[in-house]
Amino acid sequence: MISTKKPKVAFFDFAGCEGCQLTVIDTLQSHPELLEAVEIVQFREAMSERDEDFEIAFVEGSYSRPSDKQRLNQIREQAKFVIALGACAHIGGVNALRNAKPMQEVRRTVYDHRADHYEAGKALPIAAAIPVDAFIPGCPIDRHEFIRAVKTLLQGFLPEIPDYPLCVECKLRENDCLYNRNEPCLGPIIRAGCSALCTTFGVGCEGCRGLIPNPNIESLKEVMAEHGLSQSMIEAKLSLFMTNELKDFEVVYHGS
Amino acid sequence: MTLLTLPKNSISSWITLLQSKYTVVGPKKQKQEYIFDTIHSASELELDYPTTILPPKKMLLPTKEELIRFNFENHQRNIKPVFNNPPTVLFGVHTCDLHAIALLDHVLNQEYPDQHYLARRKATTIVSIECLRPCSEFAFCKSMETLSVHENFDLHLTDLGDRYSLDIGSEKGAGLIKSFASVREGSGEDHQQLRKIMSEKWSNFPYRLDFDVLELPSLLSLSYNSPLWEELEKRCLACGSCNIVCPSCYCFNVIDEMDLRLHSGSRFRVWDSCQLDRFATVAGGHNFRPTQASRLRHRFFHKGKYQAESSGMVGCVGCGRCAQTCLVHISPVDIFNELYQQQTARCLTEQEAAT
Repeated sequence: MISTKKPKVAFFDFAGCEGCQLTVIDTLQSHPELLEAVEIVQFREAMSERDEDFEIAFVEGSYSRPSDKQRLNQIREQAKFVIALGACAHIGGVNALRNAKPMQEVRRTVYDHRADHYEAGKALPIAAAIPVDAFIPGCPIDRHEFIRAVKTLLQGFLPEIPDYPLCVECKLRENDCLYNRNEPCLGPIIRAGCSALCTTFGVGCEGCRGLIPNPNIESLKEVMAEHGLSQSMIEAKLSLFMTNELKDFEVVYHGS
Repeated sequence: MTLLTLPKNSISSWITLLQSKYTVVGPKKQKQEYIFDTIHSASELELDYPTTILPPKKMLLPTKEELIRFNFENHQRNIKPVFNNPPTVLFGVHTCDLHAIALLDHVLNQEYPDQHYLARRKATTIVSIECLRPCSEFAFCKSMETLSVHENFDLHLTDLGDRYSLDIGSEKGAGLIKSFASVREGSGEDHQQLRKIMSEKWSNFPYRLDFDVLELPSLLSLSYNSPLWEELEKRCLACGSCNIVCPSCYCFNVIDEMDLRLHSGSRFRVWDSCQLDRFATVAGGHNFRPTQASRLRHRFFHKGKYQAESSGMVGCVGCGRCAQTCLVHISPVDIFNELYQQQTARCLTEQEAAT
C-alpha cells in the first residue's frame, strides 16, 4: 500500500527516444491535477532536481548495456513499484530490431571504427534485468491509460492493462476493418488499450502494445498472406515491435 | 386492419417534426459502411441500408454505460444510480435485429430486471423496416425465421416504391404519426401492392441451413464432442469481433473509474466477449474455458441450444454480421451445416451396422 501522503514518483530513461516521457510531460500539462496527487522527485527530461527517495518508479527505454543493470538494480531496491513505461521498456521496442543481427556488426554500422568503444548490445525489456511490477505499453504510451494507471497505483493496486486484442476496441468504434481494403493489421493479436488510434485513422496496427496472451499468430499469418502480403513482408510486420516477444525470451543478458 | 401510407418525399419533414420531441437515431453512412447514430439532418437517414457494423442494440445497451456515481468526500457515502434516457426514436431496425431486441427484452427482464436497460427501452420508440432483399451475402435470416415480424415494434415500415406502408404496433408508435398530416389511409391499390411485395420478397431470400432450425438444439446436443471444435480452434483468432457485432450478445463487464483525488467516481458497464482468452477466468486464476475450442463451442451452444431451451428463442437471428466480420471465415451457417452432415453420416453408418 502506498502511503497516504502524496506518493513520491520518479522517472528514469534508458535506450529510447524519450517520446513516452514527453507524453507524460504533455499529460501533466493537459491534466495538471496529476501534480496535486503525486510528488515528482526525479525526472531528468523535465526538471533538474534529483531525489533518490521515491516509491513509484516509471522506467522508460530498453535495457541494452551491461552497465544499465546496476542502475536498474538501484531503482528496484528503492521503489515499491517499478513500472515499465512504453514499448521499449515493456518489450524492447523498435530498438530490438537490431537483435536479429550480430551485435558486432550492429555496433560497426552505427559507430564505425569507434565500435569497440561502445557496449551497446541487444535491446531487451527491463524485465530482463529486474522484476517489474507492471507495464504501460505503447509507442508512445497512451495518456489516458497513463492517468488510469496512476489512479490505480494511488489506490495501492497494480494497473490493469487490457489483455484482449485491439479488434475489440476497433469494432466498438465501428471502424471498417482494414482487411476489407487489404491493409495488413496486427489488431487480432495485439493488446487493446490505445482506443484503436491508428486503425481509426486508417493505418494498420503495427503492434507497439505487444502480444495478447495466447495469440494465434500462425492463423494471422495466413490471413495476411490471403490479403496479398508476401512472407518477408509478414515477418517484417511481425518483427517491428515484437522481435523479443516472438523469439525465446532472453532473461539473461547477452551483450555480444 | 386499416393500412396507412406515408409518401417518401415527406419523410424529411416527418423526421424534422420528430426531432422537436425526440432524439432520432437511425442508419447512416460512415465512410464505406453504415452505422446507427444520431440523425442530425433528415438527409443523413439511409433507410435502404444493407447492414450496420454494430447492431441497433447499442442504443439500448450502450458499449460503455455509466451505471452509478459515488462520492465519499468528507466521510459521506453518496451513491446514486445514473439514468439519462432522453426520449428516442430508433429508426430503420431490420427484422432480424428486432428479434434480437425481443430476446434482450426477455433476458434482461427476468429474475433481476436490468433497470438501466429497461429504462432505456421504455424511452425508445422502435420504427422497424421490412427487408425486401438480403442485406448481405452472409445473412441467413430466412433459415432462422427472423425474416418477418409480428410484434415488438412500435411502428413498422414497408417500402412500396414512392411511399411506405405503416403498421402501428403500439401507442408509442401511433404517437409518432398522430399529428403528421402526410399520413394517409391506404387505398385498395396500396393493399394489393403490399400483398404482392410481401409474397414476392420471400423468394429473394435463400434458405441457407440444410435443416429446420427447430432441430438445432437437438443437433447441438449430439455434437458436443465433434472434432469440428478443435479444427476451428486452429484458425480462430479469438479476437472477439463476432461477439462485438452480435445483436443478441449481452455479456458485460463492470469497471469503476475514480477521480485522481480518489474521493469520487463512476461505475460503468462495458461490453464483454466470451471468445476472449480470459473471459472465463475466475478469482484464483482458474480459467474454466481455457481452450479456444471450448470457447467457440460454448458460443454456438449458447446461441443454438441453451438460449432456445431457457427462453424459447434461438439466440442467433441470422443477421450474418459475425460471418461477415470474421477474418478466418467462421460462419454459424457453415458450422451448423457441417455438424448436420456429420450427424447424418453417423446415423447412416449406425444404420448400416445394424442391418
